[in-house]
Amino acid sequence: MEYAYYPGCTLKQSAFPLDRQSRKVLRALGHGLTEIRDWNCCGATSASKLDDFLEVAMPARNIGIAESAGFEEMLIPCSACYSKTVVAKTRMNRDPRLKQEINSELAHQVRGEIRVSSILEPLFDAARSRELGQRVSRQLSGVVAACYYGCMLTRFPLDVDLRDDAENPGFMEAVLEAAGGTSLDWQEKTFCCGASATVYDRETALDLMGRIFSDALARGANCLVTLCPVCQMNMDAYQEAYCSRLGRSRRLPVLFITELVGLALGLGYKELYLDRHFVDPAPLLREMERQQETEAAS
Amino acid sequence: MQEQTAFQVSGDAARELSAEIAGRSEQPIASCYQCRRCAAGCPVGEATGYLTPDRLIRMVLLGDRKMALNNDLVWRCLSCYTCGTRCPNGIHTSRVTETLKQMAREERLEPLHPKTDSFHRSFVKTSLFWGRMNEVGLMAAYQARVLWSCLKRRDFREMRSEISSQTRFGLSLFRLGRLHPGWTVSRGRRELGRLAAKSGRHSR
Repeated sequence: MEYAYYPGCTLKQSAFPLDRQSRKVLRALGHGLTEIRDWNCCGATSASKLDDFLEVAMPARNIGIAESAGFEEMLIPCSACYSKTVVAKTRMNRDPRLKQEINSELAHQVRGEIRVSSILEPLFDAARSRELGQRVSRQLSGVVAACYYGCMLTRFPLDVDLRDDAENPGFMEAVLEAAGGTSLDWQEKTFCCGASATVYDRETALDLMGRIFSDALARGANCLVTLCPVCQMNMDAYQEAYCSRLGRSRRLPVLFITELVGLALGLGYKELYLDRHFVDPAPLLREMERQQETEAAS
Repeated sequence: MQEQTAFQVSGDAARELSAEIAGRSEQPIASCYQCRRCAAGCPVGEATGYLTPDRLIRMVLLGDRKMALNNDLVWRCLSCYTCGTRCPNGIHTSRVTETLKQMAREERLEPLHPKTDSFHRSFVKTSLFWGRMNEVGLMAAYQARVLWSCLKRRDFREMRSEISSQTRFGLSLFRLGRLHPGWTVSRGRRELGRLAAKSGRHSR
């Protein structure tokens, strides 16, 4: 399938591995991605706190560009960009006057018909149709993942068509298992990590991250797997800080789901930028290799 | 942290404030029956103590404008949308806190958590200016606001700790090759600028 691809600002900067991994993984699964031209910032979680009109207007321009280029589906790896784009589309379709008011300033008009998907949807479809399983060249044996969804992938401030369950989502688990990994049932998979509060209200954010980490650890996870670039950055970069508050010595690598799927599809360590983490995933990868060797020997 | 346990009540004020907030946030706040499912799931509940989402709604319904516009929950709310997802009556209190933040700004109230306010303002302002969010530019704009307010209060300790923690974080990103040196801009900034002017009420 050909998708209109919206990377978003973070994926061009600190979360660039997620951009590169997404492109490589989807290409390996036979999809085409065309980055939409001259896209702009979606406003993320800040615009709605300042202005209800801008919250819709900022993602609207991107929708207009993707629709005028003739695409039927827009693919967004970043969960905040995905959520805000879904919200903007839904609010404009519910309120034709708002849509008209925004369209009057846009070079590319919004029709509001394009499907907006997170990258989990094509991955889940590939897992369900067994296509992912068939393309796996390296089983993710030894990976015991706590799949961490955070807020923006499943919870919305209005009614939207959501394919996964809001309270107990399972798309990431299905994808990992199709790639030969193990996933855990755990409590905090949709609990908030604090998001940008690490900048302006750090104590609160560290408490939340500590709670997520402790549950994952108690259930026996050897890594956290996420899709949101903010969750990934927070859980990874602040791990020393929240673990030292809790007196914990164990550390868990925090990986993007695309990183693990990429490994399973045979992509290389450097090619997936696995060396760009605060908590080094190398021990996990060695464990994976060891398990694969034992399996091959038996 | 508010120690208040009784709200100021007045019939007219109550009608006026609830109608204004229900309208702007598009939330059916009058149907809240205080089941407190929101309170049980709120991730900042431990930090805000007494003030839970249901009590914020109650505050609005009773017309306590002063408290409703500037309290710990309004400023700590992370907009995680847990309260609204679980509310049996479909009330998204996160939308209500967003509306209350906007109203507090329009009434030029000094925000209870100035750093939170500075961050969101800096984010929207810089993203509209370049058409895209530049992490380094955003953090510079945010830090300028925070450091200026430290300077005004002559709080040099806070200033030092801000500078050292941000520098350390920036360096660690740099070492991992995750600090982007270039600048990313969208020509769409002109369209965005016209849209922002149209909305009229946005960040100043």
